[in-house]
Amino acid sequence: MLRNIFNFTLIASTLRLATPLILAALGGLYCERSGVINIALEGIMLAGAFTAALITFYTQNPWIGILAAVTAGVLVAAIHAVATINFRANQVVSGTAINILFLGVPALLCGVFFGTTGNTPQLPREQTLNDWQVFNPQESPLLASIFNQNPLVYFALLAVLLTFFVIYKMRFGLRLRAVGENPEAADTAGISVNRMRYAGVLLSGAFAALGGAYISIGQNSLFTRNMTAGRGFIALAALIFGKWDPLGTMIACLLFGFAEAIAIRMQGTVNIPNQFIQIVPYVLTIVVLAGFISRAHPPKALGIAYTKE
Amino acid sequence: MPLVRITLCFLCVLCCLVSACSSSVNSADANKIKVGIVFDIGGKDDRSFNSAANQGVLRAKKELPIVLRDAEPGDATSLEPAMRAFAQYGYNLIIGVGFAQAPILEQVAKDYPNTHFAIVDGVCDSPNVASLLFKEHQGSFLVGMIAASTSKTNTIGFVGGMDIPLIRKFLKGYEEGARYVNPSIRVIPNFIGITDAAWNNPSQGKELATAQIQQGADVLFQAAGNSGLGVFDAAESMKKFAIGVDSNQNYVKPGTILTSMTKRIDNAVFAVVKEEVEGKFKGGVHVYGLENDGVGYAMDEYNKHLIAQAIIDKVEIAKKKIIAGEIKVTDVMAK
Repeated sequence: MLRNIFNFTLIASTLRLATPLILAALGGLYCERSGVINIALEGIMLAGAFTAALITFYTQNPWIGILAAVTAGVLVAAIHAVATINFRANQVVSGTAINILFLGVPALLCGVFFGTTGNTPQLPREQTLNDWQVFNPQESPLLASIFNQNPLVYFALLAVLLTFFVIYKMRFGLRLRAVGENPEAADTAGISVNRMRYAGVLLSGAFAALGGAYISIGQNSLFTRNMTAGRGFIALAALIFGKWDPLGTMIACLLFGFAEAIAIRMQGTVNIPNQFIQIVPYVLTIVVLAGFISRAHPPKALGIAYTKE
Repeated sequence: MPLVRITLCFLCVLCCLVSACSSSVNSADANKIKVGIVFDIGGKDDRSFNSAANQGVLRAKKELPIVLRDAEPGDATSLEPAMRAFAQYGYNLIIGVGFAQAPILEQVAKDYPNTHFAIVDGVCDSPNVASLLFKEHQGSFLVGMIAASTSKTNTIGFVGGMDIPLIRKFLKGYEEGARYVNPSIRVIPNFIGITDAAWNNPSQGKELATAQIQQGADVLFQAAGNSGLGVFDAAESMKKFAIGVDSNQNYVKPGTILTSMTKRIDNAVFAVVKEEVEGKFKGGVHVYGLENDGVGYAMDEYNKHLIAQAIIDKVEIAKKKIIAGEIKVTDVMAK
């Protein structure tokens, strides 16, 4: 029985389930490190998922779909940026508005393009983003299955390392953090607070939209209404849980993915009602949050609009 | 200044509302029968359950003198307002699609005793409600037989949407059908979730299906609305078979979809609209089973080369026996 739950496929499954979370959470990291709360990750993911499916359908090329999704994500994030940075709107309210807006916009556009109310047509398999076998040990097909993943899965893991380097080793990252911790001091030192915050928010749009695109044209082959199913919020939780640190955030996302993968494998293997199995990821989260991590310190200026003196 | 802005916004919204309302009823339609349909969370393009109901009303609109309006509530809390709005505007027949609407419809039907209602997959006691029920267990039994006859690994899977008695009814019939052919077959049952979001999560559908295939399953039956489309994706990419549900889904992925357990909601919905137009509306429970082609399995040009004639012959014999009562399929919802 345990061998049915714990085997190599569990690792592959964990990676697949964690990828959209990692991408969205990295987006949230850039945004929140700059001092802007981004509760809109869910809405941006939906925008990305929809745009990817739409553009891939018309161009028959998933890579153009990905590019379009990133563009759409940046544009949606720009709404958040203008509202919160230029007009100093409440960051939570602006984010919530975007989430609600993008529950509706894809459905509306599906009506315009396809005459449906929330579903795009299904793409043929060869037009979606298919798995790449990067390493193929002949003697172990199970091990090979771990190295047969969607390109965006590899990208997400690379992006974690890249983000770590950018945030801690590059001037851009230092400035981003400075703006999020103490905007007055950064401003005095000659850093444009608004420009850094714009960069953070727009980057979050690009990453979250990639996460959405992974769901629609990576894992699946179409967009359906509200298909992200709350993953944007879980990514946000993972970001906090990972203390706004790229590696910590990745570990948190992997933990969520792992818990979900276990829950999937427990169903039907263990004789426990489904209702209990499906709360496993959440219970695990609470246990880990309560037991293993010390207090999380958010960026000090998080959520506070900056007004130049 | 803010006051001016607020007033402007208010005016804009008002204009939109007025223009929306004025376009909804035009004079030529005044003496036609007005039919309103409220879809379930999955939405009318799920290519499955809701699509089947939609097919029925669209056919009615084409063939009968009716005015048709639909509502697609995005979440469970908008079901009741949508239904009440239809009743308030004097619609003659209001159709609720899905078990979740039964308790709501019960309330609304009591408040509007002169309006006729129909509920798919639910039962309401009011005399002005027609309850449309299906013997899903019978149809599932037949596709279970096809699955077990096709499986080479002696293992088949089931992916249900929301974990509710109705979907368990599909599962039980499927298991019994499979065991009827092969008593030693292993059936792996999984459910997407325990809330209504389970109908709209294709990623989870794909992940569950992948896990089942990795445990050896080579035919997967899905009853999961939009989430089932993810099951099809998994089956296609891992070169296994999937079985569609409610609508005939054979066309969605030709070569991957072995057959579909059809639930002719379209016929049931069309029949109730027709009765309304002809003034013969009858409240009470209407049951659709194998005997009146309310449920069945779909054969067409997409799957005829996938299933051997010998299997179809066996299934047809079983079908006759079920109708004759010689094979009893368990209905988990029967009290």
